[in-house]
Amino acid sequence: MSSTTAEPGAPAAPGRFPREIPIQYGMAALVVVLVAAPLVPILYQSFLTGALYDRDAQLTLGNFARLAQTEGFGTVLWNTFLLAALSTVVAQFFGTAAAILFGRTDLPGARVLGELFLWPIYLSALVLSFGWYSIYGPAGYVTLFWQSMFGEAPWNLYSIGGMAVIAGVSQAPLAYLYCLSSAGMTDPTLEEAARVSGSGTFRTLWRITLPLMMPAIAYSAVLNFTIGLELLSVPLIFGEPAGVTVLTTFLYNISATSPRPDHGLVATAAALMLVVIVFLVWLQGRLLGNTRRFVTLGGKATRPRPFRLGGLRWPFFAICVAYVVATGVAPVSMLVLRAFTSFLSPMIPLADVLTLENFEILWREPVYLRSITNSFIVSLVGAAGATALIGMIALIVHRSEFRFRNALHYTALFPRAIPGVVAGIGFFYAFALLPGLGGIRNSIWILVIAFTMRFIPTGLGAVAPMLLQVSPDLDRAARVQGADWWTTTRRIMAPLMRPALVACYTILFISFFKEYSTAIFLFAPGSEVIGTALLQTWVQGEVGVVAGLAAIQVVVIAVCITTARAIFGVKLHG
Amino acid sequence: MADLKIEGLVKRFGEVRAVDDVSIHVADGEFVTLLGPSGCGKSTTLAAVAGLDRPDEGRITVGGKVYFDGTRGTYLPPESRGCGLVFQSYALWPHMTVADNVAFPLTLRKVKAAERKRRIAEVLALVEMEPYADRYPHMLSGGQQQRVALARTLVYQPSILLLDEPLSNLDAKLRDRARTWLAELRTRLGLTTIYVTHDQIEALSLSDRIVVMNSGRIAQLGTPQDIYERPADPFVADFIGTTNFLPAKVAGVAGGVATLELADGQRVEMAAERPPEAGARVTLAFRPEQMRVAAAGEGSGPEGSVIATRVLSKSYVGGRWQVALDLGGGPLRLEAETPPSGDEVRLWLPRSGCILFKGVTDVAA
Repeated sequence: MSSTTAEPGAPAAPGRFPREIPIQYGMAALVVVLVAAPLVPILYQSFLTGALYDRDAQLTLGNFARLAQTEGFGTVLWNTFLLAALSTVVAQFFGTAAAILFGRTDLPGARVLGELFLWPIYLSALVLSFGWYSIYGPAGYVTLFWQSMFGEAPWNLYSIGGMAVIAGVSQAPLAYLYCLSSAGMTDPTLEEAARVSGSGTFRTLWRITLPLMMPAIAYSAVLNFTIGLELLSVPLIFGEPAGVTVLTTFLYNISATSPRPDHGLVATAAALMLVVIVFLVWLQGRLLGNTRRFVTLGGKATRPRPFRLGGLRWPFFAICVAYVVATGVAPVSMLVLRAFTSFLSPMIPLADVLTLENFEILWREPVYLRSITNSFIVSLVGAAGATALIGMIALIVHRSEFRFRNALHYTALFPRAIPGVVAGIGFFYAFALLPGLGGIRNSIWILVIAFTMRFIPTGLGAVAPMLLQVSPDLDRAARVQGADWWTTTRRIMAPLMRPALVACYTILFISFFKEYSTAIFLFAPGSEVIGTALLQTWVQGEVGVVAGLAAIQVVVIAVCITTARAIFGVKLHG
Repeated sequence: MADLKIEGLVKRFGEVRAVDDVSIHVADGEFVTLLGPSGCGKSTTLAAVAGLDRPDEGRITVGGKVYFDGTRGTYLPPESRGCGLVFQSYALWPHMTVADNVAFPLTLRKVKAAERKRRIAEVLALVEMEPYADRYPHMLSGGQQQRVALARTLVYQPSILLLDEPLSNLDAKLRDRARTWLAELRTRLGLTTIYVTHDQIEALSLSDRIVVMNSGRIAQLGTPQDIYERPADPFVADFIGTTNFLPAKVAGVAGGVATLELADGQRVEMAAERPPEAGARVTLAFRPEQMRVAAAGEGSGPEGSVIATRVLSKSYVGGRWQVALDLGGGPLRLEAETPPSGDEVRLWLPRSGCILFKGVTDVAA
């Protein structure tokens, strides 16, 4: 090199203040505050005689005894367990069957069927419940049709069994995805060896394929059981009218809808739920092991050979189509159709009832219009903020020398163990405790904060695997050349992470848009979102308006998914 | 430019000492290669110099500037060191063009736009990549990427240059060309350079000095001739080039010549400056190219010894033959231009070409 002005051998940043220190500690503190905010007040309140904000309240253990003695609490616990267990059985059965049929056999149209099978995962269980109601409810389309043909319908959604089927069907996609990815990772020669040694299709499936899926089935079962315990929408819609109360609806009844809530009791019940879920999430971690999640196996050139169903191909196809239509396509279609009609019955011609009145009401009533705009603001803005936060967490956890990065990782994943109901109650207490934050309490920003905390693990799940695929040499190269951690993050890592961040934003947008369980404890007049408006309107019996709101939610989510896939090639699962 | 001093460097991974008390002094402008099999600690040593991996003990200074001092707790982050490191994977940023990649370290140093442009052009010309300035890394071949990676490092004139197996991702033909080119470049630049490789040809042809490493320790430190002709231990002899090892016993020592008795009773004479006493168990080592097939009727003399061996197998490897031989149960390898005829081969071994190691070595020939 001939001539230069800069001094040779000089580092870019001699002895400069390490900027990464305040950034990393700041982010860590933010995450800790966010995760602790709902937990600490609940745990504290569960040991108080009076309300949290009451100066006279004293420490006590009495709440636990009072909760145990509450009339019917034993039944509540039993119902909760029964619903979670039954819905898990349903979900695992359908999920595993679908994984084998769509993933491992020569079933016609397996790809499309697999996509349709996943529908419930994109919709909230709330919307799916409304859909099921409009078809299989007491005045549902199919129920009425059945009655006109054969008399009394043999099913009843207003029972634990009925609820378990709805919940199970909405959770089956999770079992499906886990089993599918497990099937994709299994060495195909294991199955081929069985077939070469003379084992037929069904024997191989039963003796080799299924046992190899057992870890995935077990893990997703614990996951689905956890979700079953946390479920609010289905028991609220179908359980309450039938007098079947579970822990979530019990909490809802004694807090959100009670004129004078017994805070000690609420917090204790919430704490109990928290402890159970924390244990189950810990169990999930044990079942999965911590490392396997991110291990990318070497690309296998050969895909496992699909099993040949032979003469059973078309019968199985018919069964699968019937399932997908009956559980997902028909309820959603019917809900959308209901939005455009004044009344829906097999006895009345469709042309007589078509109307746009439901949407007129949505447009006319400020509360509905506001809930829609609020949902958009919360989802568009909130998901952006949450994505930025999650991106930073992922970078600090996986790409920095931050001293407490492991603790930060653990804390950031902890919200998995906080049910939406508990988070809602917890944030409500947290903001009641801090008087200066009253402005936030009655605005949509409390929802943004609560949703962000809830979905940090979801976002990390989208970002981390993609981040881990970026070679560490790329940021190390920047560091050696003189860029400090923060410059490397902005100039090198942020652009490289763009696809991961887009995926994260999409997933968070959908999650925020359909969230309701946290929101119903936190919203105030003026800060309604679609989820809370749906529940309120349902209680008022305005089925048409509910269908209209639900249809809007379905369409927005569908557009969002299609766009993300088409433009950015975002993978939303798997 | 500066000299590099590594003193008593230790890096542990759990119980394993990946780098175990390594001390190297690289003079200003010197080209030193760390050579060894994978897992020998060479890359860990390089990472410690670059600041990518914090060592546990020792001291690293460059031109008097302390990079790391285990006793004082001094540890400079990589960005405050001013080293240049070329990665095995090249680590070109895929979202930046070649010019942007090279501009990045200059932007960090707040070099003015005009000056920056001039230096980018200059360094790209140096690595013969000027026409590719606006391409993205994925549009380049492996060899071109490697040149850009080097340009990106040279452009800010690092105090020392660290190269981590820069040629290992190139195919064999390209690697030869790149090596020649790198050798020319190093003469022109005269940078203090640490070069990490497991390829002995790269090490021998490029280096002023070579540090052979084995399980975290320095096995030998010397010039390429030292290392090749006078390996310090059987590991070095085996790792650099091909070496035949034969277990033997010292039968007698006289006037700088040791007489060794091989396993089957044959005797070999060799020059030895400080031979062990008679009766000691030793290992005789020599390169395949140093021995030749003895002429008919030729016997042992003052220049060398003749030993009889049995032919196990022979294979043609292009231009010459590789012959596997057996000598009293021990395997031997011979390279010859013509294949041996018959089952027996008599070999002539020069006195000066033999190396003696104490004890019986378990290195497989």
